[in-house]
Amino acid sequence: MKKLVAILAVLALAIPVLASAQTDTTQKEFVVYSNKNARNNHYIPSGWMGDTGDIKMNDQSADNPKDGATAIQFIYSAKKTQGQGWAGVYWQNPANNWGNKKGGFDLTGMDKLTFWARGAKGGEVLQKVMVGGIKGTYPDTATVEVGPIELTENWKQYTVNLAGLDLSYINGGFGWATTSDLNPDGATFYIDDIKFEVDPTLKPEGKKQEAMPFYIYSDRSTPRNHFIPSGWMGDYGDIKYDGASKEDPYLGDSCIKIIYNGQRAQGSGWVGIFWQNPANNWGTVDAGFDLSKATKLTFWARGAKGGERIEEFKVGGIMGEFSDSDSVVIGPVLLDKEWKQYSIDLKGKDMSYIIGGFCWAANVDNNPEGATFYLDEIKFE
Amino acid sequence: MNKASLQLRDGSQTNLKVSPRRGHFCLVLRTVPILGIVFLFFLSGCKQEPRVYIKHFKNKDYQLRVDGRPYIVKGICYSPIPSGKNHEYDWWSDPRKPWLVDGKLMQEMGINTIRLYQAHEDMEKVKTVVGDLYEKYGIRTILGSWLGFWEYPCPFYGDKKFRERVKQEVVDMVNSLKGEPGILLWVLGNENNYSCLGHVNPWSSEEIDREPDPQKQKALRAEVYYSFVNEIAEELHRIDPNHPVALGNGELVGLEYANKFAQKVDLVACIIYRGRTFGNLFRSLRATFDKPVLISEFGADCYDAYAKKEDQNMQAFFLESQWRQIYENLAGNKRGMGNCLGGTMFEWTDEWWKHNPDNPAGWSEHDTASNWTNGSYYYDIKVEGNKNMNEEWFGIVALSPGRAGELDIRSPRKAYYVIREFWKKPDLNNKKKKVKTK
Repeated sequence: MKKLVAILAVLALAIPVLASAQTDTTQKEFVVYSNKNARNNHYIPSGWMGDTGDIKMNDQSADNPKDGATAIQFIYSAKKTQGQGWAGVYWQNPANNWGNKKGGFDLTGMDKLTFWARGAKGGEVLQKVMVGGIKGTYPDTATVEVGPIELTENWKQYTVNLAGLDLSYINGGFGWATTSDLNPDGATFYIDDIKFEVDPTLKPEGKKQEAMPFYIYSDRSTPRNHFIPSGWMGDYGDIKYDGASKEDPYLGDSCIKIIYNGQRAQGSGWVGIFWQNPANNWGTVDAGFDLSKATKLTFWARGAKGGERIEEFKVGGIMGEFSDSDSVVIGPVLLDKEWKQYSIDLKGKDMSYIIGGFCWAANVDNNPEGATFYLDEIKFE
Repeated sequence: MNKASLQLRDGSQTNLKVSPRRGHFCLVLRTVPILGIVFLFFLSGCKQEPRVYIKHFKNKDYQLRVDGRPYIVKGICYSPIPSGKNHEYDWWSDPRKPWLVDGKLMQEMGINTIRLYQAHEDMEKVKTVVGDLYEKYGIRTILGSWLGFWEYPCPFYGDKKFRERVKQEVVDMVNSLKGEPGILLWVLGNENNYSCLGHVNPWSSEEIDREPDPQKQKALRAEVYYSFVNEIAEELHRIDPNHPVALGNGELVGLEYANKFAQKVDLVACIIYRGRTFGNLFRSLRATFDKPVLISEFGADCYDAYAKKEDQNMQAFFLESQWRQIYENLAGNKRGMGNCLGGTMFEWTDEWWKHNPDNPAGWSEHDTASNWTNGSYYYDIKVEGNKNMNEEWFGIVALSPGRAGELDIRSPRKAYYVIREFWKKPDLNNKKKKVKTK
């Protein structure tokens, strides 16, 4: 009898777990996370990324929750504890599943993900929120990123359109990421009621044509920035990048400072940086922006000494499974010591699909002692 | 038997057999002039060289015409270097005539054009190859000139004597070969435009050196180079009005200068390696240099550098996708830009010497090391260092060494059959399943 009870007990525990592997297609919503220990939580905020030491999480914050008794509070210190300059958290199933084990859920039938968020003060910036996108042996079937999002002091609901996407295997139910550049003094924010929902009125989201001006870099901590300077090329060990330089910015409180030491760290003799969307996208991810309305890209540049030679400045040109729709290059350019505006003419070019928003490249042959230069106000117009 | 003579339109006379029966004679007299004209027309048609030109439609579509009929260039780049030899091997003089074996295979596939980058210096040998391919297999030849690009030292497009010598070489070549019915068109240069940027074979002049701004230096070089091509094109039109002249160009780089300085060329022949699509190439050309385009070099290798094994599916997938885009942009297709004339894919057979041209021992090895990277061929881009392009594996026909004294054995790869079927029935539906790789 004891043995029978034990078997029943095991079955009673196991059946709900097994059943959770596929969603009930008749249900209208599927909760990612509502409150700590809530029975309908399906994902765990276990996937800490980047400067994990910069994150503190209180998953039972009673400080003005949106719904129920608690919300999740995140405190991001922006101290770059691991030297990354960014941090984020993924809600995973099971916990800590970076695609190395089978888990996740079949969310076919869901059309959107909604969540509520607020900042402690207002003005905190999430670089992006994600649904899916975890790779590995068992990769998610969809990847959606939305952002940047500037939070308000009051609770606000946000929606991620998932209509038309393959949601048959989603292990990364939700995630957020942000950077120290966007939040130089850190950020405290709250998230609540994250869930997938059915919404038959939603249509698959095509790429919308972005309004102009469309900034790549305005100032270090503004959500207006797009693209990430993640594509370091050639002798990447020769580069130091400071996206928050205070050294005589052209406009605002900061500019980009790049130091290229010409040491041939990787033996290439040249270097460059691509601003990409998302970070490190060499054409492997279907993302980017529709910048069809742009007729030019302008930026300001100056050299520390004057005479620094940049072989090319470029828009687009990343080639991969999802290639940029066009490529436009200017250069070589000899920089002045004073700020000077440069323009890349985009008239007649196809800017409908751009993952590589901006790029520069230089070489040691023309900069034998390296080069220090500054960039500011990089934008499509 | 009486004879009568008939004055024909061209002033010549012909003798007629006169029937003793008057009625027959009248009928013959009425009919013969018409028949004679038809006969002469036919005769003159036989003697006339095949005329090749590009028709410009009112809707701005472009179409290549050969003997008055539309001609889609279904071509292949041809450089039949056998295993164990390098690019200096004189295949033109090979008594085994490899082009005869290849021509038959090409004909069976549906290839109607080969592209040769440079003619042999012995024009009789060139005539033999061009003539054999055309007469036996109906395959026409696109003939190019490097324009001195690979001479050592570097090309001196800034030097008048150099330009004059190169121009004369091209003129001599065209004068020798323009009467060959197998000639389709001429291509001037290949990727010489990259030298204007200083990326390869850099050159300069005193005037260019005096200019401190590197952007202006580039513009000056481009002006010199494209003006030179323009000058040759103008001369070729004068001596040979029957064949179009193409500007060979790496990608679309520099074509904004060609638009200013090389308007005499009839078309642009572009070398493009953009993976499964040509992107917005056809649209972009309309905006920068609105000439007909031949994709004169494109393709994919068939070696998966990541999996470290041959992958014929991968090559077939890319090539079929590329041909689909070429067809979408032919004249009359509303889905495209109507400015494409066809393509010559790279290439017919593998070339085993390419990975290390200076090491004779390597010419007999089918080297699997990669020379360069291109992310748009994404199946094997994850290989260490991202070097995924295997220069010795671009053939749509594989080679294996033959018995002593015999030609290498030709083994068509999957791409050969896939493209053959595509040409038979071009399917422009892009929603086909990807070819399964690995």
